[in-house]
Amino acid sequence: QHITSNQGSQTIQTTPGRAPRSLTPTQRCFRIRLVPIPHRSKIAPRKASNPNPPVAIQTRPPPASLSPPLLPPSARAARRRRRRLLLAGAARERRAMETLMVDRVHSSLRLFMNRNAVFLCERLCAQFPAETNVQLLATCYLHNNQPYASYHILKGKKLPESRYLFAISCFRMNLLREAEETLCPVNEPNVEVPSGATGHYLLGLIYRYTGRVAAAAEQFTQALTLDPLLWAAYEELCILGVAEDANECFTEATALRLQQEQTSTSNLEKSNFVNENRVLSPNVSASLVDISPKHIKQLPANNTAEVPGYPHLRATALHVQNTVPSNVGQFDSPSPTVTQTSGIVPPPLFRNLHAYQNTTSGDAPAKPKVNAVNQPPRRKYLDEARLKKVTGRLFNPSGDSVPRRSARLSRDTPINSNSNISQFGGNGSDHSSGKLRVNSSTPSKLCSTAIRSVQVRKGKPRATENFDEGSRYEAVDEMWTDNIAATSSSLSIAEGRYFEQDKAERTLSQDSKMATGIKELLGLLRTLGEGYRLSCLFKCQEALEIYRKLPEPQFNTGWVLCQVGKAYFELVDYLEADHFFEFAHRLSPCTLEGMDIYSTVLYHLNEEMRLSYLAQELISVDRLSPQAWCAVGNCFALRKDHETALKNFQRAVQLDSRVAYAHTLCGHEYSALEDYENSVKFYRCALQVDERHYNAWYGLGVVYLRQEKFEFAEHHFRRAFQINPRSSVLMCYLGMALHALKRDEDALEMMEKAIFSDKKNPLPKYQKALILVGLQKYQEALDELERLREIAPHESSMYALMGKIYKQLNILDKAVFCFGVALDLKPPAADLAIIKSAMEKVHLPDELMEDDDL
Amino acid sequence: MESDGEEEAAAATPGTAGAAPAAGRLKGCPELSVEGDMREMAKTAAWSVSSCKPGNGVASLRDDSLDTYWQSDGAQPHLVNIQFQKKVQLQVSRRAAAAASARFGLDGWRVIFFFLLNLLFGGIQLVVLYVDFKLDESYTPSKISIRAGDGFHNLKEIKTVDLLKPVGWVHISLSGTDPRETFIHTFMLQIAVLANHLNGRDTHVRQIKIYGPRPNPVPHQPFHFTSRECIMYSTIR
Repeated sequence: QHITSNQGSQTIQTTPGRAPRSLTPTQRCFRIRLVPIPHRSKIAPRKASNPNPPVAIQTRPPPASLSPPLLPPSARAARRRRRRLLLAGAARERRAMETLMVDRVHSSLRLFMNRNAVFLCERLCAQFPAETNVQLLATCYLHNNQPYASYHILKGKKLPESRYLFAISCFRMNLLREAEETLCPVNEPNVEVPSGATGHYLLGLIYRYTGRVAAAAEQFTQALTLDPLLWAAYEELCILGVAEDANECFTEATALRLQQEQTSTSNLEKSNFVNENRVLSPNVSASLVDISPKHIKQLPANNTAEVPGYPHLRATALHVQNTVPSNVGQFDSPSPTVTQTSGIVPPPLFRNLHAYQNTTSGDAPAKPKVNAVNQPPRRKYLDEARLKKVTGRLFNPSGDSVPRRSARLSRDTPINSNSNISQFGGNGSDHSSGKLRVNSSTPSKLCSTAIRSVQVRKGKPRATENFDEGSRYEAVDEMWTDNIAATSSSLSIAEGRYFEQDKAERTLSQDSKMATGIKELLGLLRTLGEGYRLSCLFKCQEALEIYRKLPEPQFNTGWVLCQVGKAYFELVDYLEADHFFEFAHRLSPCTLEGMDIYSTVLYHLNEEMRLSYLAQELISVDRLSPQAWCAVGNCFALRKDHETALKNFQRAVQLDSRVAYAHTLCGHEYSALEDYENSVKFYRCALQVDERHYNAWYGLGVVYLRQEKFEFAEHHFRRAFQINPRSSVLMCYLGMALHALKRDEDALEMMEKAIFSDKKNPLPKYQKALILVGLQKYQEALDELERLREIAPHESSMYALMGKIYKQLNILDKAVFCFGVALDLKPPAADLAIIKSAMEKVHLPDELMEDDDL
Repeated sequence: MESDGEEEAAAATPGTAGAAPAAGRLKGCPELSVEGDMREMAKTAAWSVSSCKPGNGVASLRDDSLDTYWQSDGAQPHLVNIQFQKKVQLQVSRRAAAAASARFGLDGWRVIFFFLLNLLFGGIQLVVLYVDFKLDESYTPSKISIRAGDGFHNLKEIKTVDLLKPVGWVHISLSGTDPRETFIHTFMLQIAVLANHLNGRDTHVRQIKIYGPRPNPVPHQPFHFTSRECIMYSTIR
């Protein structure tokens, strides 16, 4: 019914809508012809020829039907004009094509059609070799996992985003030096690191991997100051062991600062972006960060953030409208009169911003000139306020008068200076998606809330139109300028005030909402950060307490549970660790991070079957993850098949050479194969990746202890001990090295400490007894072994040592008894022989004993 | 010295094996089954053979492939020599030896040798060969002798075994009857093929593996931990 009753408005919609879908020559003509209409209307006596001028202009008949009647009166002039316009039109045509292509690329990227995106973007770059397009192509390549390709096309580019993308490409290709030089050129020390917080973060990573810990920490701190919510930077600081207290980092002050930044950005933006991280980014330049693939990953909905020319988004919206023709009626619901009034009244959102302009120019409203002056700022606001609602380029008349052109230029400048790109683009993407949902009659948060508010205020259905068809108003405005400027300006003043009040209220409530949101998020980050920091400092008990403060839904997530499990692992409480890891694995079977530790826990618990099951599962989840291969390797290591285990660990290293733990495990396997040279090599690699990886320090210590380089052993154990001062096993090994160095006093002290710190650990008790035997304090040693028996009653080696002590004490029957028990407990063949021979020689006098056997 | 006694004791075993030839004849088994507390230990050793056909050299003995074989090309006995090199440990041993010489009043190289054998070298417990009578027929060894010593100059026979149409892995344990002599501590091992089946001249051996006990996961600890509680805590990974 609408379609028939209101043909005019329908055609207006469909005409521009059809164009982007497929650019057939006729449609192109439409748009070329569409352009000169306002221009022509000023010169050509069109209104006179039309019996009912306002209606004709309001409804704006389709150009196809409009042109034929125009031709007869001034055919020659029109033809001349057309020729002139064809050139200008071609340029706009090109721009439309570019816009369309960019849009297609973005939608492909958004839908993970990476190859399609690369193909289209290559076409785009061939046609329009602007640097923004090249950046887009680089982004496509990075999405498609071809950093070498983006490296190639971006080499030597100077724009900050290009530099950042180039650095990312280098980083992915492991060209750290080049990445570093791109981020902060050596000969130009004043050049700022591109893309703010993430730029600093990337630089920090590069420093970290090249072993410049202090510089890395500085970069991470800088990134964190730029963007307090950049968790990755804080995580890295924790790993480096230099993170400041999370309570300091994510404080109320930060909340305030974030909030202020929030309010400083435009209110409209905020209302549109409540849910987006980008708003929270501290400065405008930091928002460029979103170009990075990392962020695109994090914010999949915003991956159109780097849209260089935004008008294409309008094209999508229109396209969507067109493809759902049944919805067209929805926009035609206003009757012709409504269209008329809506033509008078500019879209409400920019009205209040526009009010000032209107009041100043309102003195001479009747003059068409005023309108020419009036128009550009209005349009500008339209763009900035409504952002993507109205596409400037697509519908901007190419035959504009000078002020209009300048308006466009002024609109374009901020884009070129890159201060607002991502915000514009982000908004655009949001809007287009919102629009899409509106059309499919699912109310999108953005559009619908805005629409609702306006509707409530106005109580008129045309409000809906104002939002969804901004472009139409623009077009209509252009045609209407002559007649209605006066009314429009006066009306807009009134409505503008009204609106301002309303908006102030909304802003207030949103501000408070935002404040609580920021506080809550910071509170969460504070807890998580503090827990992670403490566990990185190996203050595991404290870390566990912090983690327990987390609300249940957060606690019961894979990451947190793995962290808790890891904390127990560091405390050598493998049973508890197993409990939490198992829970984590059950909750989120696809969490791979931390699963290498889980496999080690199962290794220590000698759970062969569960370990192999875990390994199989992890391999089926992701056979290209180092964690999965670490689990497989642990499985073979537990079966004492060290060669196969080594192969698997090496595979893990190949998959990601920045996993320190995989290197360490390789080192352990080489050590088990008695290839100490290689084992030392791998431990060193692990330390190169992460200097605070105490397992590698420990591994080195063990190797040196075996090689009887006791000073070295002591040094390395001490390093490990300094990193993880709570581990009773490390204390014990340090004590063993001290004992080997004949510093028995220190060794005993260390053993005492180890026994004290973990009562369940039998190792230091046994070692202490050994030291005491060496000092010929037999009774004390026996006492210690008695205490050991309470923990581990079925320990063959303990009885063997006891038997030896009884032999020394000349309590022979007890000695024989102990040796007998030791033999019953199935010692390995090597011990079996020694114990048997010791048993046989019990009754021989001491001189004939070969003590060194024992 | 202990080493001498050990070798004598081991040398006595061929006699016992010869006394009951039917029972002592080894047949081989298809699976290589070795207990978990043992490990292959001759990877770093220097391997040599008395003679070989081109293309069937000493490398075939250690390539983990049962399809390739070493084929001798000369007069019997055919020899495989395995020389263990533990340079690092030799260097280290001097320290321990010095301590021991003070304690036992032993002197010089005798002490060092003594320590090398007892402390630093895990000892050899098991020699495993893969031979296949079905494929190699008259090339299959029928009588094998194992000899040990410091070098070529003082090798002593420690064990002789007879094989009866063996197919698969032949396990030759070097343990003597005395429980104390579970291991052979030596620098060099020689495996001599004294005779072949069907009076064959040259011989085929497909694989040789040497096994000894694993070192203690906790360095310098006299006994291995056996219970789960202790093993769990004994290392960091």
